[in-house]
Amino acid sequence: MTLRPLSIAAVVAALAAAPAIAADTIKIGIPVGLSGANSVVAPSVVQSSEYAAKEINDAGGILGMKVELVVADDNSGAQGAQRAFESLVYEEKVNVLISMETSAARNAGLPIVNRGRTPYIYTSFYEGRSCSPWMYVNAWVPEQQVAPIVDHFMAEYGAKTFFLVGSDYAFGRGMLEFTRSYVEANGGTVLGEEYLPMDGSDWTAIISQLKASGADALITSTAGGAPNVTLTKQLRAAGVDMPYGNLAVDEGTAKSMGADATGIYIAASYVTGIDSAENKAFLEGMTATFGDDLITPNDLSVPQYEAIYAYKAAVEAAGSTDPQAVIDALDDVSVTGPRGTITMDAQRHAPLTMYLGQVQADGSVKVIQSFENVDPGDQCPQFAG
Amino acid sequence: MANLALDMITTSAILFVVASGLMIILGVMKLINFAHGAFLTLGGYAAYLTTEAGLSPWLAPLLAGAVGFGVGIVVERVIVRPLYHRPLDAILATWGLGIIIGQLITIGFGREVQFAASPMTGTLDLGGIEYSAYRLTLTAVALAIGGALTALLYLTRFGLNARAVIMNETLARGLGIDSARVRLLTFGLGAGLACGAGALITPLLSVDPNMGLPWLVNSFMLVLVSGVSIPSLALASLILGSAQVAVSSYISPIIGGLTIVVLAAVLLRLYPKGLGRGT
Repeated sequence: MTLRPLSIAAVVAALAAAPAIAADTIKIGIPVGLSGANSVVAPSVVQSSEYAAKEINDAGGILGMKVELVVADDNSGAQGAQRAFESLVYEEKVNVLISMETSAARNAGLPIVNRGRTPYIYTSFYEGRSCSPWMYVNAWVPEQQVAPIVDHFMAEYGAKTFFLVGSDYAFGRGMLEFTRSYVEANGGTVLGEEYLPMDGSDWTAIISQLKASGADALITSTAGGAPNVTLTKQLRAAGVDMPYGNLAVDEGTAKSMGADATGIYIAASYVTGIDSAENKAFLEGMTATFGDDLITPNDLSVPQYEAIYAYKAAVEAAGSTDPQAVIDALDDVSVTGPRGTITMDAQRHAPLTMYLGQVQADGSVKVIQSFENVDPGDQCPQFAG
Repeated sequence: MANLALDMITTSAILFVVASGLMIILGVMKLINFAHGAFLTLGGYAAYLTTEAGLSPWLAPLLAGAVGFGVGIVVERVIVRPLYHRPLDAILATWGLGIIIGQLITIGFGREVQFAASPMTGTLDLGGIEYSAYRLTLTAVALAIGGALTALLYLTRFGLNARAVIMNETLARGLGIDSARVRLLTFGLGAGLACGAGALITPLLSVDPNMGLPWLVNSFMLVLVSGVSIPSLALASLILGSAQVAVSSYISPIIGGLTIVVLAAVLLRLYPKGLGRGT
């Protein structure tokens, strides 16, 4: 490896500052949507990455090597992702890519990852079935998220008929297609499945169809942010009060939506209220590090934090940063973090403990039920076993 | 069926409220105000600040209207007036102004979605049909705005002057009408209506820096189809709004989103000068 003047300076500075001698650094590339649709959540992902890097470096690094983060904006889309991945893989020559991204950005980046033979840990929940010999996923897929909500509606409310509403894009349609097949496989009926374009804001006709259908329960999967808010507001204004599961709302958004969000069911692999020593230590450490600037940790930023530790464990198990050795080791290593103990051993995906929560009148999310180690199902059969 | 009719009427009413400010400015000033979407957004944020300050959400549209009027007066004086004899540049200037307002809002409030409190929630019982109380209220507000604008144009001195300027500005000036003042007040009125409309639609929408954008396109189409007259704007809103609801209900909401634009193109082919001016 050739050192450029800047990194020589960094090493010299590290030598001067710390008695622990850093022979080399491990570069972690983080392509993330600092602008565009993901810009609201991306800063929390950068924060949790910085926190993980700081913890690891304070404890001596990985195999004695310091961790260095390289954050690149992918503009939440395909074109930006191509630039970000090319620059990280070929110019920065990062050892690993770890990031939460939109599905469009991930799909655009994967060919570059494959060509550059760079390990990639994807940390965002997504619609499932994205496979690459160089990629692992530690967040949930529809199989894990939809089941808790549908099961609860069927058991608690005796719901037989469902109405599905979403935004017209890969994640929205993917989630609802799975929901439909899951509902039908469990003896329920889907009375309607309707979509609005991502920038659409007038849900009038869909809400009228929903009310006319007389469905027992509603499940929505919109794009995050504005579409989710407009749909929820208009549902409430139209007096819709059936059981309402929202596949796209997170704790923070639910909190700021106020009264309109009350009663909504969500399912997530992370909620801040998880009662474990690891989660408490994580939240305290984050608060101490970022103070008033802290963005509430969420179901996207926590998997990012854990993925950096998964990479650390894999490098330590492999004894080097050799890409193939790390990929082979990632299958076996476990990380115990805020979400519990997680191993990405299910066809490159991870069995996860899922929490079914309901938004309370004060905006907090109350955990109704937890589902231990929900299996992601058949995601990438070519990597089975 | 009754529910569908209500959807059509209330959707049309919302379109009318949102487009009225654009039409007033177009009528008097012969200027398409491309900052209309940004004014709507500004109104949304005015509503957000109103309810954040603990004031009644009912006040939000009035305060937003006042803010819009003030901003409109300043914008007319500083940006639009020097360009009055360069209409294309004036349109570009309002386009740029829209971008600047959007960016200032982003700098001030961030990109994330904000939440304004709603003045009312729940439904009204209309002889067996439960229907959104706020949408029904909006329909009444639309009728009130239509009535007030008609009264302003036909019963006041300002309205008489404005109509004179609409018909023939040179002649109006020759008769001693201060057309610069009419234009100043009109732009303020149009901007105020836009901001007020932005505040009125926030209970149904999210407040974010781009909230006005989709409405700008629809308002633009409505005003092109209607021409400059309040009854014809109401007619255009009713035709295009109902068509949107019908297509969304019976075909697909995704195609429904295109209905206004496509139907407007067809109507303009049949009535090139707009509904207000016949064939």
